[in-house]
Amino acid sequence: MSNTKARLPQPVASEHIPLKARNVSFSWESTPLHWLPGDPFTTHTINVLHLLLPAGERWFVHVYKQVLPHIRDERLREDVIGFIGQEAMHSQAHDEVLPHLREQGLDPTPYTAQVDWLFEKLLGDRTLPPGRARHWWLMERVALIAAIEHYTAFLGDWVLNAQELDRRGADPTMLDLLRWHGAEEVEHRSVAFDLFTHVDGGYRRRVRTWATAFTALVFLWQRGARFFMENDPTLTDGKASFRDFRRSGRAGTLPTTSDMIRSIPRYLSRAYHPSQEGSTEQAVAYLASSPAATAAEARAHTNGAA
Amino acid sequence: MPLPLRAARTALLVTGAALLTRRALRRRIDASPLWPLPALEEPISGQPRSRALTLRVARHERVAEGVVQLRLEGGHLAALPAWEPGAHLDLVLPSGRVRQYSLCGDPEDTSSYTVATRLIGPDEGGRGGSREVHEALREGAEVEVRGPRNRFPLLDDTASYVFVAGGIGITPILAMVRAADAAGADWRLLYCGRSRASMPFLEELEKLGGAEGRVSVVAEDVSGRPDVGAFLREGAQGGAGVYVCGPEGLMDAVAGALPEGCSLHLERFAPAASAGGGSAFEVELRRSGRTVSVGADTTVLAAVRAELPDVPYSCEQGFCGTCQHRVLEGEIDHRDELLTDGERGDSMLICVSRARGTRLVLDL
Repeated sequence: MSNTKARLPQPVASEHIPLKARNVSFSWESTPLHWLPGDPFTTHTINVLHLLLPAGERWFVHVYKQVLPHIRDERLREDVIGFIGQEAMHSQAHDEVLPHLREQGLDPTPYTAQVDWLFEKLLGDRTLPPGRARHWWLMERVALIAAIEHYTAFLGDWVLNAQELDRRGADPTMLDLLRWHGAEEVEHRSVAFDLFTHVDGGYRRRVRTWATAFTALVFLWQRGARFFMENDPTLTDGKASFRDFRRSGRAGTLPTTSDMIRSIPRYLSRAYHPSQEGSTEQAVAYLASSPAATAAEARAHTNGAA
Repeated sequence: MPLPLRAARTALLVTGAALLTRRALRRRIDASPLWPLPALEEPISGQPRSRALTLRVARHERVAEGVVQLRLEGGHLAALPAWEPGAHLDLVLPSGRVRQYSLCGDPEDTSSYTVATRLIGPDEGGRGGSREVHEALREGAEVEVRGPRNRFPLLDDTASYVFVAGGIGITPILAMVRAADAAGADWRLLYCGRSRASMPFLEELEKLGGAEGRVSVVAEDVSGRPDVGAFLREGAQGGAGVYVCGPEGLMDAVAGALPEGCSLHLERFAPAASAGGGSAFEVELRRSGRTVSVGADTTVLAAVRAELPDVPYSCEQGFCGTCQHRVLEGEIDHRDELLTDGERGDSMLICVSRARGTRLVLDL
């Protein structure tokens, strides 16, 4: 049995820091529809985040509120409490982009109403009887969140390093939203996985929920990008294709296909721990310079001290 | 049939079926990119509680002794969100302080918001917000606002209105007086302040009051304290709606002298979110059948956590919304910046908000 021990997930201790929600605020009225100038495809592919995250991260919070009584480790409880607040703020911040899109003639409601259904109904509490069924469904959702968080951390790490977006003159407010969010995702990337390991940790469940989450993400993402491209009032024949995705990946304005494929076996490895990828130091450094995060810091300071 | 031939036939069939399926799917998808998921009938996403706007200070003028009025314009926006008399804006000042200021302009004007603020020195309990508005928000400066929200709406359930304003408390009342006058309603105003020079909008109000003497101005340096009782006895006929904004003392005086049948509406100068501080009270947790006491220097959350350690919370500053709970009984002293006016009716953020009275009942 000596080699099982070696293959247990090894957290990198130096990557752990205490988590706290930041009271950020973004105003959108000067952000153009194509916030990455001249590249509607990349703009809208990243905009899909605003379609999925308000409902998705609200659902994370909803599920995690229910899992609190199952936590037997004080440090993990602290982490989960911090995680909940950060996710709640992510949901609120992305939700505020949607009315702005609507005002620019791109109404996201047909799509977001479906995402709302997905998270509120399909993945909701489903009026299960207390006991095994309810517990099974809670654990299934906790595992799903861990799998999704593997991708949010991947995207967070990517956006923190996506210098090409700066070079092409992306809107600074949108870039700050993405990087503030990305940095917090990197900061708390181990929480969902640690929680799953703490309350269940079954490998079969991990693989099963990964497959579900990955399929759902691919399905929802391509659909969202196509939805935006087809309904963009400034494009006459807007299309989104896998070829465009690969092209943007090569240009550095989206993650590359090969990076995405390579991230799959890493999550499925028995030795995986999220602290092995991404850099907390880089995330913290960005948060120390982010306009939204520093304004939130000032607000917490002046109002808290009053 | 020999094996290779059979395998080739199977491969051909599978490829053919796959191609057909792909074409059918592609057609379906092209026809409607949103096939085939059900949707929530009343969508939740895309309707944030509030939105931030960055506005430009287009005019910064002194309208009375120690009072400046700001005109804030949203250059990029076709129209600013609408508001009704009594509404306020949250201003995020350059230092990060958040302060509430009542809107005192014209609700019909969708290109700008107008607020007025009096400089409150540290000796009067000022915490620096008004000084920043006076000194840092010069013409051309940008300021982030949230709202507008209305915690002090002017209801049209009464035939007559009585307004009482103390000092800078005139700002929400001014918009109300204009609206009541425009609607042809019967209204009266008692406007008190330290001196006429320190009271903004006097000229306009006295003009609105006209010869019928609808407006009584009481400047303390000349006439001393206002006789609120006498004003209400004379001015508030049965069933009038009484709207008051001003210092605590003034509001207490009005509440004490309120004639029978009149409804009272108060706008307090609420301090921005500040945890702790206030009086002690009790909280009943109805579902768990327990009662906890909340001390003056502790929060509802802390008291509840001692009994129910798994109660969800996170930021402890009233912005993330995790600790929102339903309130079954008791008047709430809301101290957060998050909840909408609708949510404030029957829920609270237990990390910062408190009881106005001595008791709250939570659905916990």
